[in-house]
Amino acid sequence: MNNTMTSKKFFNAVLFREIWEAMKVTFRHMFHKPMTFQYPREKRTIPDAHRGALCLLRYDDGKERCVGCDLCEAACPSRCIKVISEEDKSLPLERYASEFFIDITKCVFCGYCVEACPVNALAMTKMYEFSTHDKRTLLFDKDRLYDIGDRHLADAKKYLYAHNLETEGDESRAYRYHFPDSIKTVQSSTE
Amino acid sequence: MGLKPVTTPDAETVTIELSLDGETVQAKEGVSLYDVIASTGKIVPAMCYHYTFDPFGSCGMCLVIQEGKKAPVRSCTAKATAGMVIRTEGEDLFLARKKGVEKHLSVHPLDCPVCDADGHCELQDMAFQHGVTQLDNAKQKNIPEDTRSLVLDFNMNRCIACGECINICKDVQRIDALQFMKKGGFNQVVAKGDQTLDCEFCGDCLAVCPVGAITNKYSKYAYKPWQLKKTTTTCNYCGDGCQIYIETKDTEVVRVTSPLSWKNKWGDRTDTVNGHDGLCVRGRFGFQYIDSSARLKTPLVKTDSGLQETPWIDALDLAAGRLAYVKAQFGAQAIAGLITARCSNEDLYVFQKFMRHAIGTNHVDSSARYGHINFVRALTHTVGVTRTMNTSEEINKAKAILIVGANITETNPVASLRVKAALSVYKAQTIVVDSAQTNIAKLASHPIMVNPGTEGVYVQGLVKSVIEQDLIDEETTGIYPQALAALKQAANEVSLETVSTLTGVDIDQIHETAKIFAEASRSVIICGEGVLRQFGGYHHMLNLVDLAWLTGKLDRKGCGINTYTEEANEQGALDMGVAPEFLPGQMPFEDTAAREKIAQAWGGALPATGQGSHLMEILDRCRKREIKALYLVGENPLETLPASYDVKGALSHLEVLICQDPFLTETAKLAHVIFPVSTFAEKDGTVTNQEGKVQFLRPALDSLGESVLDWHVMAGIANGLGSPMGYDTTQDIQQEIRKVLPGYYNLGRPSPIEPQLGQYFGKDFDRSVGERYRLPRRTGNQRPFGLRLIQLIYHSGKLSTQASGLMLISPNTKSLRMGPEDMKNLGLNSGDRIRVTSDTGSLEMLVKEDVSLLPGSCAVPEHFNDPPVKDLMSLQVDPSTSVPYFKLVYVSIEKA
Repeated sequence: MNNTMTSKKFFNAVLFREIWEAMKVTFRHMFHKPMTFQYPREKRTIPDAHRGALCLLRYDDGKERCVGCDLCEAACPSRCIKVISEEDKSLPLERYASEFFIDITKCVFCGYCVEACPVNALAMTKMYEFSTHDKRTLLFDKDRLYDIGDRHLADAKKYLYAHNLETEGDESRAYRYHFPDSIKTVQSSTE
Repeated sequence: MGLKPVTTPDAETVTIELSLDGETVQAKEGVSLYDVIASTGKIVPAMCYHYTFDPFGSCGMCLVIQEGKKAPVRSCTAKATAGMVIRTEGEDLFLARKKGVEKHLSVHPLDCPVCDADGHCELQDMAFQHGVTQLDNAKQKNIPEDTRSLVLDFNMNRCIACGECINICKDVQRIDALQFMKKGGFNQVVAKGDQTLDCEFCGDCLAVCPVGAITNKYSKYAYKPWQLKKTTTTCNYCGDGCQIYIETKDTEVVRVTSPLSWKNKWGDRTDTVNGHDGLCVRGRFGFQYIDSSARLKTPLVKTDSGLQETPWIDALDLAAGRLAYVKAQFGAQAIAGLITARCSNEDLYVFQKFMRHAIGTNHVDSSARYGHINFVRALTHTVGVTRTMNTSEEINKAKAILIVGANITETNPVASLRVKAALSVYKAQTIVVDSAQTNIAKLASHPIMVNPGTEGVYVQGLVKSVIEQDLIDEETTGIYPQALAALKQAANEVSLETVSTLTGVDIDQIHETAKIFAEASRSVIICGEGVLRQFGGYHHMLNLVDLAWLTGKLDRKGCGINTYTEEANEQGALDMGVAPEFLPGQMPFEDTAAREKIAQAWGGALPATGQGSHLMEILDRCRKREIKALYLVGENPLETLPASYDVKGALSHLEVLICQDPFLTETAKLAHVIFPVSTFAEKDGTVTNQEGKVQFLRPALDSLGESVLDWHVMAGIANGLGSPMGYDTTQDIQQEIRKVLPGYYNLGRPSPIEPQLGQYFGKDFDRSVGERYRLPRRTGNQRPFGLRLIQLIYHSGKLSTQASGLMLISPNTKSLRMGPEDMKNLGLNSGDRIRVTSDTGSLEMLVKEDVSLLPGSCAVPEHFNDPPVKDLMSLQVDPSTSVPYFKLVYVSIEKA
């Protein structure tokens, strides 16, 4: 008994059996699809409903959607949003956000702010790469948020559709606030 | 209609019984059904109802089912009658009310995200409560926003035509600046005649607007109600002591709101006799100075290269060192201190303790010296009363009100509403004696226009007339026959003909007003600047006491003499003993027992008697170089007193001038050390209003920059002088005040006053009575126009000129106001340049028409020093109370 064990051990050692066992796995995987991917060079496909970096959106004509209503600030559970609103001096009726900050280090990516937004000015994108050496750059200001929005507009729209927040056509206009076009025309005609 | 306060407050109303949701309820007859329901604690929604005015009945929400009627009835406009059977709850009522909400919402823009009222909107609440989610036939009004007014924006798309703004303006404020107008197919609220809104801008319409139809321009779109931190504190502008909510966001003041709001809509209308909880333009729109960029943030020390920012420790050390030097070198009597009556009671108390205890001098005074002390000294001397004699309720329910020289609607707008209610709701006879056609004179039943500066003469005329017409009250005067005889004899000196020529009022009118005042069952006197700040103020106050005593209105319930103060805490300044003649509690400084009590509390001796000097004497002594060090807390004598008095010269002789102020004033620019201090919005403490209510200041913000509370500086300097005061918090000071003045903190419920007539009328009366019945002689070569320094409703002292909102409403127009008649005679038009010459100087300025001024008089607001009109004034000092009089001067005017 003891002899057979010893001889088996001896043959295994001479024939590098363990290495063969290991190589068997390696060779088997040569014919498999890879489980991992080469992250910076290769990227994962992300679903439309993914909650990535927040962004601010514009209407198709380039006008800022945000009316500075502060509802996102009210909805935010981690209190990372700060909106400073003002009257647009050129258009006396209109309210807009003169400053808009999201402290993305505090953000828990819950998406409540997007749900709260009455004009769909906020959306989430598939962008998640904002690691940095300087933590201060993680306080997204209005310019940065619009910049993300401009660059990831398609993703942002997909997010809104995926979360049933925006639908095509007049349906969405019905319950969402827009500055009425007619007021603007009355305003300009009285001036 | 609703609950009309009965015009005779003494009359009893009949009590009736009705059934409410199966319970029997008692109510007064004639009361609105809604009030009855509300009084049981049940809440029936109503958007157009507010307790301060009659129900309007436009919103259609307060529906109830009355047995015997098919359709629901509007409970606000229905009168409660005996035997009614009412149901206030039920599915049918809910649906009927929901229909009402839908009706309003169908023409309401759904612009909640951008509306300032979002989250503080009754329509929003109602839509939520009634579950309105679907709207058929919604349409937009598409009315352009009315942004013409300086203060308020009217967005009539959001208006639900509840009429609350119009009603409060008409029924409570008695201004009537708003109206409904049918425009573009919709009923809209517009300023009278669809003009630009130009009113007193009290902003009560803004407060009661249940939606966002009226918005505040100064904070438009800057906030959402839930973001703001709300602090209840006491307004610091005038002596009314209104409670205000300062609403802040981080470190900025966003807006000021009032307890009056659509949210506080339930109440008893008769309770408004104690105030309607609204504010005036200063309180509501004059908040910008609190976080103004002009505020001082660090201590400044004068060096050769100008004022230098210095750390606190060095500045305190310097101030204490210089004071110690002056005290060692020249004695404690070479140090004096002045403090403004806008400070809190605790600041004032610590200040006088610092001067008397740490320094050892009695040269302390406050800005109550400018007039209020005349009132207090006269009343303490005669009847032993230390403040105004009547509550606002008593003023409201008076039968006759004599207002002498007080432009109350401008100086104390909220307190004046009680007089307005008295004369309109309770139908009081109102006699207004003034030298201009003031707003209250326009409303009064008996406006008496006198020549400038002769209000006191008119009072003497009234006393004489009472004696001549034999309107003397036998009951009260009979107890002191000697005093009556002395008064009659003294009044012999006064001839009504002379009074008539001096004042320019007919003798008949004098007789008529005297009769009204004497014959009314409850008469009150309200006196103001025209008495207290004109030459002879103290004597004229005594004349008023004589008048009240003669007619039996001095110690009877509901009668008395009152004044309204200009600064927030003038009453507190005197109560805290910041005057050389008073110790805390207005005990006489010479009184041995009182001195002992205070010395025991402080653990040290008080300065010797007979040495204290008041404001004018302090400045005189500075000029004579007897006073070497002056400590000014918020006081600005350089910009207050006329140049002829040469304050600058007086201050230039000082070894050390210490100023502490939130702003760099003209006086502070001369100072050696300047300490930055907090405004009222950053303080904790108390202030005493003109009625004697001690009310709390609560900090809404942290002190700006390095500024600290006023008493911190005083305690710091006391530490430096080696006599620490041992206060850590404001509560420590309050503890000490409680010990010295038990019961002073009355939590807004001052104890009723009890006039004591015995001492004065029984013993001291005839000694001095002769002095005050001498009519002034008119000198022949007097200049033709009486120029008065007046107060505007939009401003209060110099403080309000730091509030950008008020400066926008009422900028410095740099013009003299003149009556149209005089302008016509001189050939002047509004906007012309004129030269104004008085005996002390001459300057050029513009002229502006003011229809309220009478021929022979002109006026300039005292709040602005550009051009320096105050320098034209001559200054006279009262021989008894040392009040400086400089509000009136005679000038000649010519076209420049």
